[in-house]
Amino acid sequence: MRSRIYTIISGHFKSWYRSKSNIFWTIAFPLLLIVLFGAIFGNGSTKFDLYLQNQDLNANTPTMYSQGYISVLNNTGAFNLHTVAAGQTVQQALDYVKSDAQLHNRGQRLLVIPSGFNTTLNSGNDATIQLYMDQSDQASASLAGIVRSVTISYAASIAGAPDHLNLQQVGIVTRNIRYIDFFIPGVIGMTLLTTGVFGAVNTNGRYRELKIIKKLATTPLSKIEWILGMVGYQMILATISLVVILFFGYALFGVTATIDIYTVGLVVAAALLFPGIGMVLANFVKEAESADAAANAITFPMMFLAGTFWPRETLPDIMKIIANFMPLTYVNDGLRDALIYAEPAQALTNTIIALGLAAFFIVLGSMLMNWKEE
Amino acid sequence: MSNGQPAPFPGQSDKIVQVENLSKKYGENVAVNGISFSLTKGEVFAFLGPNGAGKTTTVEILECLRNPTGGQAKVLGYDVSKRSDQAEIRKRIGVLPQDFNAIDRLTVRENINYFGAMFKHQLDADKLIELVDLKDKRDEQFKRLSGGLKQRVGLAVSLVNDPDVVFLDEPTTGLDPRARRDVWGVVERLKSQGKTVFLTTHYMDEAEYLADIVSIIDHGQIIASGTPDQLIDTHGGKKTLIIREAGEEGLKQLPLGLPKAELRNAGDIAIPLNNGELTNILMGLGATPLHDKEIEVRRPTLDDVFLNLTGRRVSEEGN
Repeated sequence: MRSRIYTIISGHFKSWYRSKSNIFWTIAFPLLLIVLFGAIFGNGSTKFDLYLQNQDLNANTPTMYSQGYISVLNNTGAFNLHTVAAGQTVQQALDYVKSDAQLHNRGQRLLVIPSGFNTTLNSGNDATIQLYMDQSDQASASLAGIVRSVTISYAASIAGAPDHLNLQQVGIVTRNIRYIDFFIPGVIGMTLLTTGVFGAVNTNGRYRELKIIKKLATTPLSKIEWILGMVGYQMILATISLVVILFFGYALFGVTATIDIYTVGLVVAAALLFPGIGMVLANFVKEAESADAAANAITFPMMFLAGTFWPRETLPDIMKIIANFMPLTYVNDGLRDALIYAEPAQALTNTIIALGLAAFFIVLGSMLMNWKEE
Repeated sequence: MSNGQPAPFPGQSDKIVQVENLSKKYGENVAVNGISFSLTKGEVFAFLGPNGAGKTTTVEILECLRNPTGGQAKVLGYDVSKRSDQAEIRKRIGVLPQDFNAIDRLTVRENINYFGAMFKHQLDADKLIELVDLKDKRDEQFKRLSGGLKQRVGLAVSLVNDPDVVFLDEPTTGLDPRARRDVWGVVERLKSQGKTVFLTTHYMDEAEYLADIVSIIDHGQIIASGTPDQLIDTHGGKKTLIIREAGEEGLKQLPLGLPKAELRNAGDIAIPLNNGELTNILMGLGATPLHDKEIEVRRPTLDDVFLNLTGRRVSEEGN
């Protein structure tokens, strides 16, 4: 039995690496996407992104000193300032910064001018501006240095208050997620999706048309062995995709990823889930060419809606709901949680959902598959 | 039995395939309607009939790919309807499905080893390659081969487990005449090695050339069985005397008192022959301007057998 499964895996694998178009779609195309998207979105401006929350408002207008401080910050030319609504608590503001920064590929840094800033300084008391940032942020040292000197020089310019303006630096833990960090797991998910679905459509649809499956069904090979062989091959292919994409992500854009047990779980899930979907398709749409079209019809919307190229948060509400029903969503999210965000709890949830979907589709696909002719 | 072989039908120990009253229905459609036949060890058996006659359904029942709806079929003494027996049958039969293609991007040799690996014991790939005459192409990918060569790979694949019986379903359909001859050559080699071969075909000449026993199937029923000679003698009708390219003119020049002659394509005149008439007719022709025309006596073929039995001919495409 082992040698039969091995033979099937090696047969699929040879067929794969001997086809230039297979190599293109599984290796070259994802890399091309990474280079293209990385080049388009990867390089931000040379200014530092800084989120700013000015809580010191008077009738919705910044008070004199707070406005003055912001002007000085602006005049340095070192910052792209992004305003955060004043009404939010610091925690809410930080949450907003986290998602917005990720969306726009910016650093997560928040400067808060506290409420009563103007009054405190006027009364000759100490006022403290808070800078929330991650110490491991590559830009942290120079950014903090600039903010510090702005604070000192602004304090000096306020008559009688040179010692009353302080800057407090508050460390927050962020992964400074750039677009490319977000994109790489998405590309892996996309590649697993397409190789899985199209691979299964090919081996179960086209092999049926070529009577290879009929021939195999007249030998001692069982349906289960055939499916195990296909899944084993998909796992090898998924691993290759993962390793190659992560390697190039690191080499070209310095994307560092953590491969953990969830990554392994997700690759296993994907290697069952997507071929399972392909098998279901191949059994409903008997003709290989139509099955190919059906595979396209399923994979493309999934690729775009399940957060491969951009965060699902940017989608209209109805699309977000649809995305929740797409298996790729959980693979993409899980891969991001595991590889990039280092969020094991979320990775676990997504891995469990992906494994559940995988079990469902591979069992359904196997049950639907006619091994004999009836 | 002592060798672990299950019991065949009583008194038929050398029967490789035994089919009794077999039928297969798809809903209301009866594909195979109560057929019976048997196949003896070392025999080449041809199942001959037009497309849709029930050939493939029957052969796929014997290959355990389809379940019969009625009757009984045994292969190598094992019952095709029993799950436990099916496993034994699969180990010991060789199959070339209709329209079979091996795996595109594997070489000839890799394909043979691929299918061979499905069995516990497999024959040496190089010997099979030699048998089907593909030595020069052994490292060529399957997709680069011509149709005839592809079919020879299929034949090699069907023999990879050294089967006790080989099922070849329409092995030459769609091939050019030369490639068909090559396939015939392989089947002849199998025959000389004593292999039992079950062949389906709609080509009358193929059945006549290759088969020891022919069963003609039409609309799911066997309408005649026997050796090609027996079938021709019984159902083929009379021999025909052909006068080549004699044309309308020739018809008028025929001596009186001959059986009814007809003009065929290319201007050939065909005269049905009764036993013992030939000498008289030839002598009669000698006295006419037709004496210098090319003359031949044509024996009826399985085409004529099929025509006489069903009132129609089978086209090249099998319809």
